[in-house]
Amino acid sequence: MTTALVAGAALVAAGIPLSLSRGPAALVVALVGLVVLAAAALGVLIDGAPVGAAFHDGVEPRLGLDGLSAFFLLVLAAAAVPAFLYASDALRDSPVRRPLTALTAAFVLALVGVLAARDAVTFLAFWELMTLVPAVAILVARRDAAVRRAVFVYLAITHIGGAGVWVAMLTLAHEHALGGRLAADGPQLLVLVSALIGFGTKAGLMPLHAWLPRAHPVAPSHLSALMSGVMLKIALYGLVRVAFEWAGPPPLWLGIALLTVGAVSALGGVLYALVQRELKRLLAFSSIENVGIVSLALGAAAVLGAEGEAAWSAVAFGAALLHVANHAAFKGLLFLGAGAFAHETDGLSLDRLGGLLRRMPWTGWTFLLGCAAIAGLPPLNGFVSEWLTLQSLLHVGYADAAGVSVAGVLAAAALAVTAALAVFCFVKVAGLVLLGEPRTPEAAAARERPVATRAALALSGAFCVALAATAGLLLPTLSALGPARPAPAAGIDLDLPGTGGLPALGLVVGLTALVALVWRVTSSGPRAAVAPAWTCGQRVEPSLWWTGAGFTKPLRLMLEAVYRPRREVRIDERPGIVVAVRHRSEVPQLFDTVLYGPALRVALRGAAAARRLQSGSLRAYVLYLLGLLLALLALLRLGVLG
Amino acid sequence: MTAEQALAGALQLAGLGVAPLAAGLVQTLKGRLQGRRGPGPLQPYRELRRLWRKSTVAPELAGPVYRLAPAVVVASTALALLVVPIGGQAPDWGLGHDALVLVGLLAAGRFAIGLATWDTGSGFALMGASRDLTFAVFVEGALLLVIVLAALAAGGSTDLTTMAAAAAGADVWREPAHWCAAVAFALVALAETGRQPVDNPDTHLELTMVHEGAVLEYAGREQAGLQWAAATRLWIVLMLGVALFVPKADGFGVQLAVTAVAIPTLCAAVALTETVLAKMRILRVPLFLGGGAALCLIGLATLLATGPA
Repeated sequence: MTTALVAGAALVAAGIPLSLSRGPAALVVALVGLVVLAAAALGVLIDGAPVGAAFHDGVEPRLGLDGLSAFFLLVLAAAAVPAFLYASDALRDSPVRRPLTALTAAFVLALVGVLAARDAVTFLAFWELMTLVPAVAILVARRDAAVRRAVFVYLAITHIGGAGVWVAMLTLAHEHALGGRLAADGPQLLVLVSALIGFGTKAGLMPLHAWLPRAHPVAPSHLSALMSGVMLKIALYGLVRVAFEWAGPPPLWLGIALLTVGAVSALGGVLYALVQRELKRLLAFSSIENVGIVSLALGAAAVLGAEGEAAWSAVAFGAALLHVANHAAFKGLLFLGAGAFAHETDGLSLDRLGGLLRRMPWTGWTFLLGCAAIAGLPPLNGFVSEWLTLQSLLHVGYADAAGVSVAGVLAAAALAVTAALAVFCFVKVAGLVLLGEPRTPEAAAARERPVATRAALALSGAFCVALAATAGLLLPTLSALGPARPAPAAGIDLDLPGTGGLPALGLVVGLTALVALVWRVTSSGPRAAVAPAWTCGQRVEPSLWWTGAGFTKPLRLMLEAVYRPRREVRIDERPGIVVAVRHRSEVPQLFDTVLYGPALRVALRGAAAARRLQSGSLRAYVLYLLGLLLALLALLRLGVLG
Repeated sequence: MTAEQALAGALQLAGLGVAPLAAGLVQTLKGRLQGRRGPGPLQPYRELRRLWRKSTVAPELAGPVYRLAPAVVVASTALALLVVPIGGQAPDWGLGHDALVLVGLLAAGRFAIGLATWDTGSGFALMGASRDLTFAVFVEGALLLVIVLAALAAGGSTDLTTMAAAAAGADVWREPAHWCAAVAFALVALAETGRQPVDNPDTHLELTMVHEGAVLEYAGREQAGLQWAAATRLWIVLMLGVALFVPKADGFGVQLAVTAVAIPTLCAAVALTETVLAKMRILRVPLFLGGGAALCLIGLATLLATGPA
């Protein structure tokens, strides 16, 4: 097993220099490496016995893999294989193919490193690499001012927030809790709060998400897939490690905090996704939603654990991991699909696509499958993990303690609303992108992508279906990776006590068979000639086409208090004749306006004040040093400095 | 499988055929209440027969998604019907009996229709779908709270057979929470089945249509399937209401008798609300459903205040 892991990682690493000299061969080598890694990770996950070193508190670099790492490694490989396949096609004519391929391999290697690190220093080193490599890759691919600004925001926010990761990891190492448990009188509060901030920033939990919808859309699509599908999950991996293993049994307040943050992220993410006009930006917001759902499940696991409901705590933990895998599958699929569309059209503005299902059937139908999966519809995988999460939240709601019960019920209601909003959102996406009439000449001229892209999408789609059908078999294994016992004995039917059961396989078979049957019956009837759609006798013409903004208008009106949309209509009029009507509307980010805006203004004002100290005169600096020295001496004298 | 379960299963399957009768009954009673003769209760069957024989006309743009959507709606509605127990009993169809699965299956139909409207490109269809999906956001939130209260009454289970068993007998009605849940369910049910005051199933004006608007383009067998599914959706919600929120004694036979009486009574109640209430402005629908949600939260508060049952 160890050999296979080392060999796999070495092959991925070999992809880096190879891609600079040979190009396509590098991708093949890296792909083989990923498959080997996946096989080894699967072995560790099934076997249950960790390989390599165990976690330790020292500074010597150690690597190893246990069940939890192996699961995330498996998710990484399952997302990276389609991403590499796609990249082999998408980067073919790119002027920056070689550096970008090398950076992609390096990025995957950094992600593997975070998962395999068995000491604080290695973990933090790979963690920083994981942040920096995609930033470099984005700048290699595109460097206009907007992209540079997005990358700057990404680096700034993830580094400020990332300080929390350093504090948490170093404190744990200092307390000899890495791989063990924090002592009961240890600094649990400090560790948990800094972990929540540090890992939460990287995972894109609201309100620390501001970088995410800026950085993900500007990355090349295969990197967006890896960032959304895997990098966010690696942050959750860190959070799970710290909060559920090293910091001791998760306290009740942490569970409530995760529920709150999760509910805000899930609702906020999907609400803003609904009003986006650019496909990849929309998908980025939807990632925030899904990370929020995972956070809800983790919160339920923590609360149920603290309340002594071990069995359901285990289910909730399994649900969180299952949603991690599911989101990696369908978000990877959607980002790669978006990339494929971008190649064939002029940009991903949602109102400038349309009709792509007919022109790109492979990409289109798999993209449609991804939309149905992410919308949480039975019988696909998104429904299974959301159902498990919802059931866990309901079991929080069944608690005797009033406060806990209310938190659980409200979180469950938030998740139900989120699911309905996600359906709305992805009807809009699939409709605008795939269906109806092409809205631009470029969209009308779109052609199907080559076989590598189709294979990548089909593979991701197959993961979506397979994860749904086998969820009942996966759940016990995934639950056993958490602290709570006993892991549920769900079986393929997911017949958990306290639920009516979710036989995903039965639903897959039943729905498919019945749809086929009804389809045969309805389509065997008499068929008349086609006719124009009904528009009160008028023909549907381009000026009558619906836009995404129009489709979501009722909701925007009803939730005006949340969205606070800005709208500007300018009518140019010559006496009696309207010459032109210009309409501009946008939905500002609530967190940007009420949180980041003021924070930025305060920071700038502080910087302006501090600038007065920086006179540039040498004498002033000598004076500062003197002052510092005197202050330190005085403090020493007073005994403040020990 | 016991004999009771087999009988319940047979009745569930019978529901596939009887469902349009309930919709027809509402129309008849509504006609009478409004001083008209109204159509007979068998009218939906006549309409289904007419549509079945007619040829299908599809809009120019419509592709496979448009043509697949009615099949998805019919299939998911049929499966949803099999999830809901009758008389507190249901055989194992291999689909489970979970309340949340039921909600998911109904959402799948909505998704399919939403996509189909984009495929037609018709403004009226899209307007209907847009409103339908918007209402669904508030419906699902309120419906979940109703399910929570009913599940709490069942000792913490979303298994519909357990919930139905817990809702039988007089004890459950001593909890104010159950009254709150029953009223909230009534509000949610009106919205979910597209009834007044949220939507008007009889409207002939495209601008006011919600569900009817979304399926405006369909004809022939496809439209027949969709009409059947709409009637079955009403049937499912009625059955759910009978199972969870109609006072009844324990026992399978008694419950079947109560069901037989309750369905026409509930149809009459729907006819009455459709007669006395006008369709509301769509922007007021969140308020209507928010009222239901607030009632549920009040119910939850009373449960928590009185301590664990």
